[in-house]
Amino acid sequence: MSVAAERVADTQAFSDTDKVLADVETIAREQLKPLANRIDQEGFYPVDTLQALGEAGAFACHLDQYGQRFDVALQTMQSISRYCGSTGFVAWCHDVCGLYMEQSANPSLLARLPAHALAQTMGGTALSNPMKAITGIENMALTAEPVDGGYVVSGTLPWVSHIRPGQYCGAIAGVKAANSSRISHEMMFLLDVNDAVALRKCPKFSAMEGTSTWAIALDKYFLGTESIIADPLRPYIQKIRAAFILLQMGIGIGVCQGAIDSILEVEADLGHVNQFLHDRPQELLAEFEEIGARTMALAKTPYAQEKEFLLDVLDLRAQASEFGLKATQSALLHQGARGYLMQSPVQRRIREAQFVAIVTPAIKHLRWEMNKLMSEPVRV
Amino acid sequence: MTVDENEANISWRLYICKACGLIYDEEQGDPDSGLAPGTRFEDIPDDWECPLCGVTKMDFEPYERPSLVAAPEPTQIGRRHADVVIVGAGLAGWQMAESLRALDSSLSITLITADSGDRYHKPELSLAISREQTPQSLVKETGSDAAARLGVYLLSNSYLTGISSACKNVRTTRGTLRYGALILALGAKPAWPPTLPQTLCWHVNHLATWQGFAETLGENQTIAIVGAGMVGCELAEDLTRSGHSVTLIDLAEQPLAALLPSEAAERLQQHFSAIGVTFIPGCAVQKVSLLDSGQRRCDLSNQSQIDVDHVVVATGLKTDARIAEAAGLDFERGIAVDPDCLQTSVDDIYALGDCISINGNPCRFIEPLAHQADTIAASITQIKPASYSHQSPVIRLKTPSLPIVMHGSPNHSLTWQTREASEDCLIMEQIDNGEVIARLQVG
Repeated sequence: MSVAAERVADTQAFSDTDKVLADVETIAREQLKPLANRIDQEGFYPVDTLQALGEAGAFACHLDQYGQRFDVALQTMQSISRYCGSTGFVAWCHDVCGLYMEQSANPSLLARLPAHALAQTMGGTALSNPMKAITGIENMALTAEPVDGGYVVSGTLPWVSHIRPGQYCGAIAGVKAANSSRISHEMMFLLDVNDAVALRKCPKFSAMEGTSTWAIALDKYFLGTESIIADPLRPYIQKIRAAFILLQMGIGIGVCQGAIDSILEVEADLGHVNQFLHDRPQELLAEFEEIGARTMALAKTPYAQEKEFLLDVLDLRAQASEFGLKATQSALLHQGARGYLMQSPVQRRIREAQFVAIVTPAIKHLRWEMNKLMSEPVRV
Repeated sequence: MTVDENEANISWRLYICKACGLIYDEEQGDPDSGLAPGTRFEDIPDDWECPLCGVTKMDFEPYERPSLVAAPEPTQIGRRHADVVIVGAGLAGWQMAESLRALDSSLSITLITADSGDRYHKPELSLAISREQTPQSLVKETGSDAAARLGVYLLSNSYLTGISSACKNVRTTRGTLRYGALILALGAKPAWPPTLPQTLCWHVNHLATWQGFAETLGENQTIAIVGAGMVGCELAEDLTRSGHSVTLIDLAEQPLAALLPSEAAERLQQHFSAIGVTFIPGCAVQKVSLLDSGQRRCDLSNQSQIDVDHVVVATGLKTDARIAEAAGLDFERGIAVDPDCLQTSVDDIYALGDCISINGNPCRFIEPLAHQADTIAASITQIKPASYSHQSPVIRLKTPSLPIVMHGSPNHSLTWQTREASEDCLIMEQIDNGEVIARLQVG
């Protein structure tokens, strides 16, 4: 069977949205939920579960080949994140990596996409630093020098998730102009974690263990044209930026839903005292539903290029970050001591919501970017 | 008792120009036009003209500054929650703060603004260059001084990014605030033709961009103004009077064609011709590009090109719909408000000024602002009944050498009848059911 024929078959396999959502929910609840504590406390990277989720269509539906159903991809990520924020983050890494490959239109990468969509092969994203570099917050960490047949890339990225030997990630490097240290432009590529890549252990984070996060050190890593995602980068990043950020809403909404679940879980037992708390479930549910509705509305046009669309996405993403902090905090206050146990998802979700608030784009980056977009342009 | 003593017992009074909002203070007089400090309004000659827009004293009415109930302390709780959140610190936003404070000294008020909040009179910008104004002379009060005086928490250099009416909060680039009542005084933005690059063209809808334009303006410059509406026409005269060479370009065949009947527009066109403004009718600017010389090249739809030192875009204003619509507010060419109380389609959210539309019609003039602000303040404080009745403001083109004044509500489907047509003056009227509904005077 040819690659093209396989794609058609895969597309049809996931055309039943209800089945995809139900299958993913079942796997998340029955397989992932029991692992969540181990993932958080022991750093367990749930490869088998990720593959089961991939087989069920969790990482395919947002791709053009599968009908560009961002709403379905967001809902599957929400189901996963509701039970485990770390794995929800991995799902996002996997989703955007597939998006990078597909939007590259590079035949070599498109040939690898079907296996990626089903999580038969896996890969993440190393765009935190470049996303900040492009908007002027920090410097680009990787530099590339043109050589025959491609580039050699050097530099270090401090933490990249959902990678390990044999996996891969989307990455960006500043390209040095010939015979100069000046950066002429940027390019994006798929970095295969092979023997030429040194992975270094990261310090332990407050949350997001079990995401297989490593520091990547490259020293004259050779890169052929078969791995190029975009060169030059800027038009490409312009195209995918809003979609990249919008997909993160799946994590945010899922963590918040988990927090509201935890509040409602104790309402019968503790409602008589919890009534004195603020951020009560009805209030949280109102904002939760509003955020969910806005997310689904924006998911209809993930590649819209208008500035207004990007502003809507940035504002929504910032709101979800703030809401996550509020909802998870409230869940702990509602649950009391039982939520404060180290094995309770309630305290874990506070750390997960803090991650949603600081991962690129963090709340402060979102506001920086909105401020920039809404200001008068500088005149020549 | 002498006459002087008798006069001194009457305190100095204020009068406001209904067309442009300028305030005549009897104590200050208007020395530039020969009215000494202390000149009573009734002693002003009938031919005296408003120093800003040129209407006569007939179009002034008594004005009282809103008085403060008590000097309030600057509130510190405004940062995360305020009884009233006002968004926008233009004329409408500050007027709103004044009107609220006049009724209630204890309300916590937060005012969010994208700029510093400095108070200036925007209509002055289109004639500020010939008057050799500077940002310092245009700013009447700094944002921080006004905030301290009114006991308002000023969240400056902050953009509104979203509204959640269900949670009664607003999101900004400096965080989320809860409100009791929300008042949108967002203003309007230039309706920018997509073919014109913003980085190569100016507009004068804001003090900061006007300042940028004024500072780069040398002597005897060539300037293309795109759009011959009110601002474009005023600016054309302002810049010409300042020694610059102006080309005014419009899609219509005559200047100010949307407002004026053809006979009146013809007089304006002749006037422009006489003072040296080149008017290019029936033409769009299709492209603006930067030349090596630093000049801008405008490609026009009549296949010609003009090279100029500056391009100013004056193609009208429009209200940004994005945030209002995302919040579920009805929107029809502006934020739709109830004509009686100025509430939007969502409870506890009000709007006034350039951002609103009443029955689908925006009204972007100064005169109604005070009435609008008083109406909203009355509604929120519930101290007195709120009732707004919209009336068409006097429209006055600030072209000092050919004054144009429009009273009433012209109806585009009715013809204009000439009442007087001398060399110096044209008077026209629209009559509906035997009643004069609009009156126009040119010259």
